[in-house]
Order: sequence, then structure tokens, then C-alpha cells
Amino acid sequence: MIKTDVIIIGGGATGCGIARDLALRGIPHCLIEKGDFAAGATGACHGLLHSGGRYAVSDQVAAKECYDENMIMRRIGEKCVEPTGGLFVRLPGDSKIFRERFLRSCEEIGIPTEILSSTKALELVPNLNPDIEEAIKVPDCSIDPFRLCMLNMRTSELKGGLSFTRHKVTEIVQSHGRCIGVKALDAATGDEKEIHGNIIVNASGAWTNLIAKLAGCEVPLTLSKGSLVITNHRLTDMVINRLRPSSDGDIIVPNEAVCLAGTTSLAVEDPDKITIQPAEVDTIIGEAGRMIPHFNNTRVIRAFSGVRPLLKSQKLDSREISRGFQIIDHQNGMYSIVGGKLTTFRLMAEKMVDTIMNAFNLKRACETAEKPLDGQEELSGYPLSKRLADMKDIVCECELVTRKHVERIIAQTGTRHVGDISHRTRLGMGPCQGGFCTFRALGVMHDMNILTAEQSVQSLREFLQRRFRGIRYALWGDQLREEQLVEYIYLGILAMEKNK
Amino acid sequence: MSVIEYDVIVIGAGVAGLTAGSWLSGQGLKVALVTTGEPTACLSTGCIDVCAQNEDPLQGIAHLPAEHPFHLVSNATIHQALNDFQQIMTDMGMSYTGGLGKNRRILSAIGTFKTTCLTPSTMQTSPQNENEKIHIITFTGLKDFYPGYIISRFPNASFSIYNAGVPTTMGIAANFEDDTFLEAFILWLEKQNIREDKIAFPAVLGLESAMSVKERIEHRLERPIFEIPTIPPSMPGRRLFNGLKDHFRRKGGVIYWGWPVAGVEKTGRQIEAVIAESRGRPNSLNARAFILATGSFVGGGLWAKRDTIMEKVFNLPVFVPGGQEVWFDQDYFSVNHGIGETGIAVDSSFRPKGCPWDNIFVCGAILAHTEALKNGCGHGFAIATAQAAAQCCLEHIR
Amino acid sequence: MKYEHCIRCTICVENCPVFRVNPEFPGPKQAGPDAQRFRNGREKSAEEWVLLCSQCKRCEMACPCGVEPAQIILRAQQRYGLEHPHTAAHLLFANNYYLSTLGSITAPLANRFAATKIGKKIFRRMGIATYIPFPKFSFKTLRGEKKARSREARKVAFFYGCFINFYRPDIGRKIIRMLQSFKIDVVLPPQWCCGLPALGNGNTALARSFARKNVASLSNYIDAGYDVVYTCTSCGLCLLHDYQGILEIPEAKKIAENSFDLYEYVLKLITEREIKPNFREVNRVLAYHIPCHLRALKIGYPAADVIKLIPGLQCRILDDACCGLNGSYGFKKINEATAVQLGRRAVSLIQKTGAEAIVADCGSCRMQLSGLSGMDAFDPVEIICESLGIKGKK
Repeated sequence: MIKTDVIIIGGGATGCGIARDLALRGIPHCLIEKGDFAAGATGACHGLLHSGGRYAVSDQVAAKECYDENMIMRRIGEKCVEPTGGLFVRLPGDSKIFRERFLRSCEEIGIPTEILSSTKALELVPNLNPDIEEAIKVPDCSIDPFRLCMLNMRTSELKGGLSFTRHKVTEIVQSHGRCIGVKALDAATGDEKEIHGNIIVNASGAWTNLIAKLAGCEVPLTLSKGSLVITNHRLTDMVINRLRPSSDGDIIVPNEAVCLAGTTSLAVEDPDKITIQPAEVDTIIGEAGRMIPHFNNTRVIRAFSGVRPLLKSQKLDSREISRGFQIIDHQNGMYSIVGGKLTTFRLMAEKMVDTIMNAFNLKRACETAEKPLDGQEELSGYPLSKRLADMKDIVCECELVTRKHVERIIAQTGTRHVGDISHRTRLGMGPCQGGFCTFRALGVMHDMNILTAEQSVQSLREFLQRRFRGIRYALWGDQLREEQLVEYIYLGILAMEKNK
Repeated sequence: MSVIEYDVIVIGAGVAGLTAGSWLSGQGLKVALVTTGEPTACLSTGCIDVCAQNEDPLQGIAHLPAEHPFHLVSNATIHQALNDFQQIMTDMGMSYTGGLGKNRRILSAIGTFKTTCLTPSTMQTSPQNENEKIHIITFTGLKDFYPGYIISRFPNASFSIYNAGVPTTMGIAANFEDDTFLEAFILWLEKQNIREDKIAFPAVLGLESAMSVKERIEHRLERPIFEIPTIPPSMPGRRLFNGLKDHFRRKGGVIYWGWPVAGVEKTGRQIEAVIAESRGRPNSLNARAFILATGSFVGGGLWAKRDTIMEKVFNLPVFVPGGQEVWFDQDYFSVNHGIGETGIAVDSSFRPKGCPWDNIFVCGAILAHTEALKNGCGHGFAIATAQAAAQCCLEHIR
Repeated sequence: MKYEHCIRCTICVENCPVFRVNPEFPGPKQAGPDAQRFRNGREKSAEEWVLLCSQCKRCEMACPCGVEPAQIILRAQQRYGLEHPHTAAHLLFANNYYLSTLGSITAPLANRFAATKIGKKIFRRMGIATYIPFPKFSFKTLRGEKKARSREARKVAFFYGCFINFYRPDIGRKIIRMLQSFKIDVVLPPQWCCGLPALGNGNTALARSFARKNVASLSNYIDAGYDVVYTCTSCGLCLLHDYQGILEIPEAKKIAENSFDLYEYVLKLITEREIKPNFREVNRVLAYHIPCHLRALKIGYPAADVIKLIPGLQCRILDDACCGLNGSYGFKKINEATAVQLGRRAVSLIQKTGAEAIVADCGSCRMQLSGLSGMDAFDPVEIICESLGIKGKK
């Protein structure tokens, strides 16, 4: 049985942010996540660190929070946040009234804007639709959300915090009406772990209600599916937004060598059963194509969905629900923290940990906004000159990930899952989507003598199955050609078994 | 525009195209082959899959669904085509073992077994079960091969590592062509005191001299050795392609590399020519008949748009089993992905159905209803249909 | 955005001769489409390994998706060349035209010097490889050739290239005699280096300046009804491909449409029955080494088709191996090991055919293969002239 002070359920940006904050304030903690880090909404979002512009008109409080956090993230994440800047483009027919409101709201909030003529905008982003009327520049940034979680957990690790991934919480242990711990199932071994603590933080995103129920509580959520399409190359170096009230498909974010475009918004019931629909892919490409025409013909390498957990509201269109967050004290030693967005994760974590400090009657100030994120030096960079010293010994050739890097991750995490390596190195996230490097990554594990035959086959099958979910709806043109080749490799050359 | 005339033009340089082209050349016709680039065969295991559904490949073929184009080829033609193939490859110095009577297994790079019909002789002694005693040799830095996969499944296997000076499949294979290197390697191998019955290698035992390299090692080490096919770059695939290509040339065939077909000229029910661009000017390749062997999606024969599938050379009607929803199952390992059925449907003379021309014939992976991975019909299917289509083509010309 | 089409099949890698022998070069896929996704055009280029690509274009001929990796790498090379100081060897070869002019004026001295121990030592110090002898300068270049004008129906402006001009004007003379024997009027237009040595050694500006001058000159002749004929396959590739491509010369399209490889031209005349050469027997067993740039021209192997008509000639075509020299590439010491290894393999394949001599359209290939094997290497025109009984002298 493991004893700690704070138990965090959920390894998304919020959970990881809380772990970091607790670590810096010297509070022992243990994070439990049923998949890998960023398995929920965090891993399925654009990776956009808002300037706040997107909420300027609809939710000024949220917008201000975003802007402040954006500035903080740039400072503490200097090496991992890409200060791309963003443009809000106005196409012919877009409301000028909205434009006025947008500019006014940004000014009121204090978000710096710069109005650019279409000529100037096209100079900055040559791929823009030449018909745009104008663009408004804002300080958007982009970050890889997996990395964000990793870096936060690094601090936790350095200060002795515990974390268990691939552990599903099956029970919340209660004593005299108080939550005193959790029982979690280790997916790798089938063993059960019991962890006791003084406070439980339920930061499980779309699963918040399911976890809350384990403690006999309710957190009514609206689950909203959002989908993303990923392109093979960077069509833009700046974040591109549409200057109109938030709607489907109006964001394009560059991230390392790709672009993420989205999103959509459809109500769903079960966070574990979501898949993207072809119509969503069409919508996203269509809308993105209006801002960057190249989108209509560009190669798409992945299309998938994630679930946004939003506080339940009577409003019908889930986009209208505030992206603000809420901390719910269940009065039994458990707190749930719900809502929010990637950009404000640090603030959410700060408020949550402040609440915990009060509960413990401790006075320790939050340092997460001052201290730079740990572990940034270990990250591989973009573009090429920052990524690799030479091109030797590369395991993932699409994303230029070296063998040394893969070995280091395997040693650090003890993982048998290629997906875990993917999240931490971007292995398999390029055009071939793990076609070649999956074989190599598992091969490296064999070289390190950590895999049995069963684990090897299972790992390969599992990875290929999961991978397929993200590419099945992006298969046409060059990508279908690519996929048939990968199929020949695994099912032909490597003779993996098909189902009988 | 330059105009070049032939009797037959084959579009596509894969196993099907080269087989059809060589056979027609051998019948005395002037044949040219035109291709965008090199074919999928270069990436394959080099093995000839005929039909993996049954121990007996011909039985397997007999039980294929009714629309499967294998049924358009008589058993006699299948026999003849595969025998011819084996003869050709023996002539080119890369013989193949096996026969149409029975399928065989070869060991794959992840320790599973692949069912196939004919294998290059370098894979002749590949183990048939996991209890065989094998010793695996790998090479320093070779990132496309990991003995660990196989060791974890074979209780009686061990491995050693040799430093070949270069870490790539191609580089090591090129080194094996050098006598000095081979001799030094064999001396090292002898010193390893290998106890197991067979020695396994990733498929890097030379570019074109693999057979003699294999024989030499077997002779010195006094036991069978075998190659294991690697992920691309694939040497056995390359050797297969080179063998068929050189044979085609020896028969008098001409190959135009890097000539994607950009246009077609037709009159009435005849295709007159295909137009291809070289660096400055378009070229018209005229012929009396045309054979389309451009492959499936990887090969470039079929191209998918968001919701339709096209054939880009002649714009032939493509059979598609339905809309985008049926192209793929949700399960990656499903045998029912609809996309396997797509392709050009042909009649009994291998002419495309619903096509307005008389002098075009289609063979190989581009054919509809093939479901290559499900049925395990790969190069063997290409060879057989190429032979049959070539025969129909010859009949048309005469 | 051609790199978008790459499906990572590695067929280009299977074909790259440099990748096979030099572990420092990551291969056309990694140097081309893989790295391209990470090049944003704003950071200084740190990819020195990009210079190891010899631009043989074999990757492009093999790619089933139309990616053109060599072109992607060429631009990366250009970028690197703009941002980094050039080595002595690069400077020398980029300015080959000027240096060869000097070399030919001082030919006897220059040739003797190049063959001495001190000369070779100095070359090696400058980063130049000396594993095969430097080509000998000819005092009498082709440029100064005077010949009689005639009034024939067909007129050809002969773009002879630096190799023939400075090293083997005798081959140039044979070509002129041969064309004249076909009743073709041959003119030597004002011309400069095609620009490929400059382009391949990091000096795009110099390449462009040569290109502009050549285009202006040849354009005049095309307008006056001349067909442009080139014989060096690398010059041809530069004229037909790079002028319109990376060098972006206006009017380059006109040049491309009206320029022909010598043998492509002769073959056309033969197949259209405009000429009926009387080929006499030549009893030789030859190995025809196809230059990489001939493949890249996408015109087939016209010289092979022409010499196929010569009775008694046995000719085996070998197009699987790159000779390794690639113009000035192999002459740079950093590439010496690569060039030697590739050359040796090409030679061994030739020797396996049992041929007595080598024939190749490209002077660079001939130098390499002859230098490494000791066998004679001929330009196809030499065999053709032998068959037609044409001598080089008047």
C-alpha cells in the first residue's frame, strides 16, 4: 500500500499541472492515469496557447485569463513553446461588426493586436487565401500537448512525486464518509495497487463524472466531441483563426513539422466510444481551405476525435458554455476540477493547489509561474538545425527520432508501449504514421531484453489497431498509397496474422 | 513530338508488366515497357505468393470467390507461367525453390511464418517451426533487423553481431559482393563455433551474387543457411526485379524509365499511342496493343480521391465496392476491408469491362476482386495473369 | 510540394550509389523529403552532409511517386552554398571554365605539372583527389575550329561543352565530320560553360550568368532555324532541366524544346529515313556504360540504338551502376573514397561481361572507368566514325 498526501486522478494537462505545483510546494503526491499522459482532451487538442482572442468577444474573463497565461507560458516554457503569433483573417462576407467588437474587446482586455493589410498578411503567411480582406495579428503560440504534460511531470519526478500510467482507478476507498484512497488496476500486470492519501483530486476530464460516482458524488458534464485533421507539412508558420464567432473548422495551428486543423463540436455520451465521421473531415478541410486554399489538395495524415468535458449547462450549443473552470468540493476529501482549456491549465492547477493548501492550513506560495519548466533541454527541436546534430542512427525517419532518444525513454519509463514512446518523442507521428519505426522501436526493446514474445506481438497488434483509428478516415490520395505500403509491410513481409 | 513505334507497349515495370513484356518479346514482337519509376516488387520479400488459403495453392485458387480473376486463368497457364518464371530466374542466376503442388513457410523478421509458394533459393532452408535450432547473425548498426524478435520465440536460438563497416541493408549487401569482405566474414563466422543446425541472416547476402555467397558460406560452415526478408529496402525484392528486368532486356525489350504516361491517343476502338514527357518534348509511343500493369495503390495504378477511385492512364472504369464507408473496417486486422476489391474488372480475354477499346489488356495487382492480402495472392497472381493477358494480346495482334 | 507525394517506400534509397558506400550520407529519402518537412527556410543551414549527394538523379528515375529527391537536395545544397564559405576545391571546380581556359593556353606546362608529384601534392592540399589522372588540357580547343560553310537543308548549332572543348577536341571534330557527312551544316555558336560545375559547387550566381549568356546565344540560332545539338549528357541535363528549374532563366523553355542529344538527333534522322548511313563492319565486343545523366534525360539510350545498327558489333548495355565520378564530385577529396568504391564496382560489372573496351557518352564516366580499369573508353561517335570510315582530321 502506498501512502501519500494528495492523490491526483487524471494525467491530462490539469492533472500534470497540479502535480508540478504540488511538487514545487513540497507536497508529496501520486498521479494515476488510466492510459498514457494526455490520453483525453489534452492529447486531442490543437496545442494552441491562446492569446485570448478567441474568447475576446464571447467571454472576456476567459480571454484575460488566456492572455495572462499565454505570457506566463512563453516565459516558463521558452524552449518548448513556439511563439508563432496568430492571425485572425477576415474573408469577404465576414461580419465587420464582429470585427469591431473583436478589436474593442481585445483592447479592453489588454490583448495586443495589430491590423494587417492583406498584402502584409500574405507576406507573413504566403499560403493564405489571397482574397482575404485583412488580418489581425495576435500573440498566439503553439505547443505539443504531450510534451507539456511530460515537462510538468518532470518537475514532479525530480521532487519525488509518484505517477502510475496505465492504471485504472476501480474503487475509491472510503472510511467514515471520507475518501481516503483509491484502488487502481495495473493494466500491464493485472495487479491491484492501493494508494492512500489525505486528499483526492479528480482531474479526469471527460471521465470526471464516472470517477465522482465511485465516491458517490455527481459532476454533471456535457461531453462534446471535437475532431482534428493533421496535415503532412506546415502550411503556415502562424496560427490562423477566422475572424467570426467561433464555429467549426476555423483554427489552423502549426506544430513542428505538421499543421493541425479543426475543430467540430458534437454532443456525445460515452467518452470511450468516439470516432470521427467523414462529414467532420469534409467540414474541417472545407473551412480550413477557405483560409488556406492549399488545404483542399494537401496531404492529410491523420484525422481523429477527442472529447471536451464541459460543465453542464442548459445552453444547447456546447460552444457557448463558458470555458471557465470550476473546483467542486465534494465535502468528503475529494475535489473535482472541471472545465477549462489547455491554455489555462497552470492557473487551474494553481487554484486547485491553493484550495488544497487552505484545506491543510499551509501557507506556501505558488511558484509555477516563475520557475521555468524542467526538462526542456532534453527536447528535440524544430526546425532541422535544432533537431539533430547529424542524421545517424535514426529510428523514426519521418520525424527524425534517434535510437539514443528512444532507448532513453524506454529506460526512463520502463514502457512496453510504442505509443508511450510516440508521445514523448514524436516517433510515428509523421507521414508513415509509424509504418517503419514501430517495428524498429519494438526491435530496440528486444535489444534491451525487456520484451517477451507475447508482449511483442501484443504490443505490435495493439499499436497498429490504435493507430488505425486515427488514420482510417484520412485515407485517400498519397496517404492511402502510404497505408497500403504499411499494410504490405506488416501483413505481407512481417506476416502478422489477420483475423480468421 | 517524337514518335516511336512498337508492337506492344507495356505500362508498368512490375512483376506483371515484365512477365507479359518478356513473353511477348520472346514471341518475336517488338515490345517496350514504359514506367514512372521502379515497382512495388523492389520492396517485396521476393517470394512468389500464389494463394495462401490452402496448403495446396491450386486448391486454394479453386475455392476463391467466383469473381476472382484467378479463375480467368487456366490451371495449365498457371503451371506454365510459374515454370517459365522458375526457369527465367535460374537462367539469371537467382533460382527459386518450391512448386505449385504445395505451399511452404518462411521465417519472417518478427519470428512469425509467412506462407508462400516459391521462394528464392537463399530462403530454401528457412525453418518450418519454432523448435529448430538456429543461430542468427546480425550486423552492427543495422536498424532494420532485430534478432530479438525471433530469439524471443525460438527456444533454441542465439545470435552474434558482425561489424560490416556500414550500417545499412544496401551497404552490407554491396560489401558481400566483394571477395575480400566475404572471406574475412567467413573466417570470423568459423571462429564463432556455432553449434546450431542452421544459420540465419537478414537478407543482405549480396546484390546479384546472393546465390553464390550463400553456397560459399554453406560449404565452409558445413550447414544450411537462409535469409530472412527485411522491411524495405529489400534485397530479395531488388534481386527479383533485376532478374526479370535483365531477362526482358535480353529478350530484346526496351525500357523507358521515368516516363509517366501523360496522355493517350485513340481512334475509334483502337488506342494508337501513349504520350509521355521527357525533359524537353512529349514523346508518342505508338503500338498495336497495350498492356496495363500499373499495380494497385502503392504501385500507382489506382488513385483514390476523397470518395472515388480512378485509374489515371486510360481513365478506365474502376470497380469500387461502395462509398468511402465500406472501404475500411474499423478493425485493422479485418479480412473484409472493401478496398481490397477495388480495381479494373476484366472479361475472359483480360480486356477491361465497360471499356471502348479493343487493344488494351490488363493484368496484375490492378485487377478488381483480388483482395491480395486476404487471399495471399501476390507475385504468383501477377505472373499468372500477365501470362494469360499476354496470350490474349498476342492473339489480338495475329 | 513534390515531397508531399513521398510514401517512404525507400526505392530511392535502394538506388542511391552514394548511400550504399558512404555512411555519412543519409540517403535521398532522408536528405530529401524527410528533412524537407523540417526545413523552414529561415534558419541557417547546418546540413553539411547534403553536399555528399552527387546529383546522379538515380533516385528520381526510380521514384514511383514523382518526388524528385535530387531536386529537393539540390536546393538544400544551393542554400548551404550561399551560407557557408566554399572550400578551395569547390571554388576551383565552380570556375572550371575559366581555369580550363587558362589551362589550355598553358597546356603543355599545365599538363606536365598536373602529373608531377608536387602537382598532385598541391592538388591534395587543396582538397582535390588524385586517384585518377587529371584530364589533359588541349592547346587547340574546339572553339577555334575553322570549317567550311555549306548550304545544307539541315543546320545544327553544336553545343560541345567544356570537356570536349578543353580536353578532347578531337572527339568534337569527329562529331562535326560525322554530321557533315550526313549533309548537315554544323555551326559552333558562341557558348560558355553550361553552368553545371558552378551549380554543383555552390555557386548558383555564376551558373546563372553562364546560363543567361548561353540562352541568349542559342536562342538566336534557334530563331534562325538551327537545331541545337549537345553531346555531353550533363550539359544536356543542365540545359533542358536546370535552366528552366533552379536557375529560372526566361526563354529556357525554348532552348529545351529545340535541343537534342547528338545521338537522339542522328537516330531521329535514321528512323525518319532522312539519312541512310552505310555502316561497315566493326568487330568489337563493347560494354556500353550508360551515364546516370543520360538516364535522367529521359530520352532512352539513343546511342545504343544507333550503334546496334553496326554489323559485327557486340554491345552489352550496363545501366545499373553509377561510375562514381559525377563530374567534379569524385575529384573532391572528401568524396574520393565514395568515387573509388563506386568506380570499382562499375568496373567489375564491366569486366564480368568480357568486353574488350568501354563505350559511354559522358567524358567523366570514360575518365573514371578507364582510369580505374586500364581499359580503353570510347565516345559512341568514335565507334560510329570507325564504322563510317570518318577520320578526325580534314
